Parts: sequence; structure tokens; C-alpha cells
Amino acid sequence: MPTSAPLFLAFVLKRSEYSNTSLLLELFGDTSGRIAAIARGARRPHQHTSALLQPFQPLWLACRGRGAIQTLTTIEEVSPPLALHGPALLAGFYLNELLMRLLARHDPHPALFVFYQATLAQLAATPELETPLRHFECHLLAELGYGLTLERVVDDGAPIQPTQVYTYVCDCGPCYPSERRHGPLVSGATLLALAQSAPLDATQRREARTLLRMVLEPYLGGRPLHSRELYRHWFAAHHLHES
Amino acid sequence: MGERSLLNQLIDALRCLPGVGPKSARRIAFYLLERDRDGGAQLARVMAEAMVAIRRCTRCRTLTEHDLCALCANPQRDAALLCIVEQPSEVVALEQATDYRGQYFVLGGRLSPLDGIGPDELGLNMLETRLRDEAITEIILAISPTVEGRATAQLITERAARYGIRVTRIAQGVPLGGELEYLDSGTLALAFAGRRDVV
Ligand SMILES: [Zn+2]
Repeated sequence: MPTSAPLFLAFVLKRSEYSNTSLLLELFGDTSGRIAAIARGARRPHQHTSALLQPFQPLWLACRGRGAIQTLTTIEEVSPPLALHGPALLAGFYLNELLMRLLARHDPHPALFVFYQATLAQLAATPELETPLRHFECHLLAELGYGLTLERVVDDGAPIQPTQVYTYVCDCGPCYPSERRHGPLVSGATLLALAQSAPLDATQRREARTLLRMVLEPYLGGRPLHSRELYRHWFAAHHLHES
Repeated sequence: MGERSLLNQLIDALRCLPGVGPKSARRIAFYLLERDRDGGAQLARVMAEAMVAIRRCTRCRTLTEHDLCALCANPQRDAALLCIVEQPSEVVALEQATDYRGQYFVLGGRLSPLDGIGPDELGLNMLETRLRDEAITEIILAISPTVEGRATAQLITERAARYGIRVTRIAQGVPLGGELEYLDSGTLALAFAGRRDVV
């Protein structure tokens, strides 16, 4: 199909059936940000695009149209889909749900796109899923302008000490613990590891999970994340949940 | 604008049928009114009854007007085999296309975390009860090879493992009449991994 529209890299965040033969897609593109598009005729028999237009499949796409919902004109695969299985697949859905909830449409985040792609690759490669998820949450918040304060103490601007424990006050940052302060206790080592996207040990993962859950909460509009529930359900079934 | 005519209401109502747009709806309405009033009246009667009386089978969740569907009520069906499908229409398709003689379980969809469709919506607790209480030795997954379908299959496989039940899935890969050149690499990889001896 001849097209003058430029190709862009993208992932499907969510797909749903649209009319009898088409797909309605929520996409995350490197230059486009989050957009909605229709793939006309993708569900007709012997149409191979339906197999391609799935989450975790790197795609080259082109669109036309200016309205809220565009129409896909080109669909090509960049490389095979990321091999996410079991809990890693649920973790992938979790990333997609976060992006669906937090990204506004037509707001490009090229750096976040690169980080998303790298995070999917990590989920596919390592059995320890929590560390990449926490680093992604930190990056997402920073991209949206809600970044965490991770390297300085709010009270006096002193550098965070790995061996110290701080109270992380929501909308503010790490403070010296005192009775007036409310928030989760987080070790300096956890804060610094999050700041540097460094590996987290079991204790740090637990602290980071509590911290990021609290920080993300206000941006989720009071509705629970379905994929987080499912993820927990899976882990409960496997007796792998760290308590 | 006055009250909408009955004719317009009929045309609008017909548009709830899949694949029927305004033009076809008008055509169908005129056809029934001018050429087949008996057929139209019969359709209306059966439709009204079916919409109320047809529910889900209490055992396999397929559509039926009885507590148990005909397949579940049939003692000739092999109780050791359980085929899991997404939609009731797939039970009919498999019955017509294969010589499968086992039982079915209809999920009613597939796992879709972003739409809030989880294990409860798919009746997985009901399925687990059957896995625990019945003498099932093999589960056959006939679920679409989409990402959501794969997640669904994994959730079921994990539950079946608790009861030591073998899980197989229908083969996936090159569609009949499909040309390799046009296949996406995911499909091609699956087809390659599932290769068989040439007999
Ligand atoms: Zn039944």
C-alpha cells in the first residue's frame, strides 16, 4: 500500500474487537506516545496482521487520519515477540495497564518507550521480576514529572546514606524519621538502588514495593489495577509471594 | 420530530444483528413485511423465548435451556477427557469437525487483565471443582494462540498441575492454504517447534 506516512516503532498495549472484521488498538509508539488506532479487516480469515497486532510484539507501524482514532496503513514486525511466560507475562500486562492508566494520548515519551522495551526484555530474561517492575515505575513517574526524590534528604538536602533509614513522605520525599512524619520506612540503600536502577535484594524489593505502591496510588484514580490483582493471585497460587 | 414509526423501530432493532448495517436492516425489514410475515412472526416468538430461557449449563457453561446441556447429560461421552474452549460456538465447531468424544468446559472468553476479565469471570473456580471431583485424566486446551489466550492457558495448566492432570493443547501453526512467506515469525516459530514425522 503506498503511503507517505512515516513509520514508527510501537507496541500494542491493548486490543479489542471492533466491528466484525477489525481491531481497535491502544498503541505506545516511540514518537507518537499513546495513541488509538483501528486495523481494518485485521480479523478477516487468512489475515496475518491479527497475529502480529498483539502485546509484546515490536512493530513498525504507519497511520493516517487526524481524529482521536487513526487508521493503520502499514504493519510490519521488527523482531519476534518478547518471550514472556507465566508470571513474566502477567508482569508485562501490568506494565501495559500502568501505561494505559497514566499516559495521556498523543503525548510522546521516547525515552520511556526505550525503557519499556528494555524492561520487557528483562522480564523475558530474568526470573526475578520485581526489580525491573520497580525501576520501570520509577522511570514512568519521573517521565510524567512526578519523579521520586531518591538522593537527598528533604529536611536539609544532605545526601542519602545507604545505612540510614528514612520516612518517605508522599509528595515530599525522604525525611529523617520522627513521630510527626507519616509514610513507609525505607532504607537509604533501597532509595539509592532505585535512583541508580541498580539490583534490589529481597528486603529492598519489599521496601520498594510498599514505597512505589503508595506513590503510584494518587495517579491511579482510586481504581485497582486488574493485572496487579492477577499477579498477586498467581504468586499466591505458587507460594512464591515474599511476605 | 414525532413518535418513531414501528417500521423505523424494526429497522433499528435489526441492526443489533452482527454484520447488519442500516441498509441491510432496511432490506430485511421490507422482506419480512412484504414476503414472509409468518417467518418474521416465528422468528420473533423463538427469539423472545430463547432470550429468556437459554442460560449456561451448570457443568460446562455452554448455552442450554436445561440445567445440563445435551453433551454433559450424555453418559456415552468420555468423562476422562475435558476440552476447554473460549466460546459455546467452538463446542459446536469441534463437534462437527472432529470425532472427539469427551466433555467440554466453556470459559466464555479469555483472560484480559486490562479489561478486568480474570479467573472469576472465566469460571476457573468451577473448573477447579471439576478437576478435583471428577476422574479427568487429560485436559485439551482449544484456546486462541493470542497473548491473552496463552495467559489463560498458563493459568489453567497451573491449576491442572495441582491435581496431576495432563494438559495438551491443539496444534498451532501454518493455516491450511497458508503460504510460509506471509507468516509472522511467531506463527512460523510455533509451527516449526511443533513439527512432526512425515508419514
Ligand atoms: Zn454442559
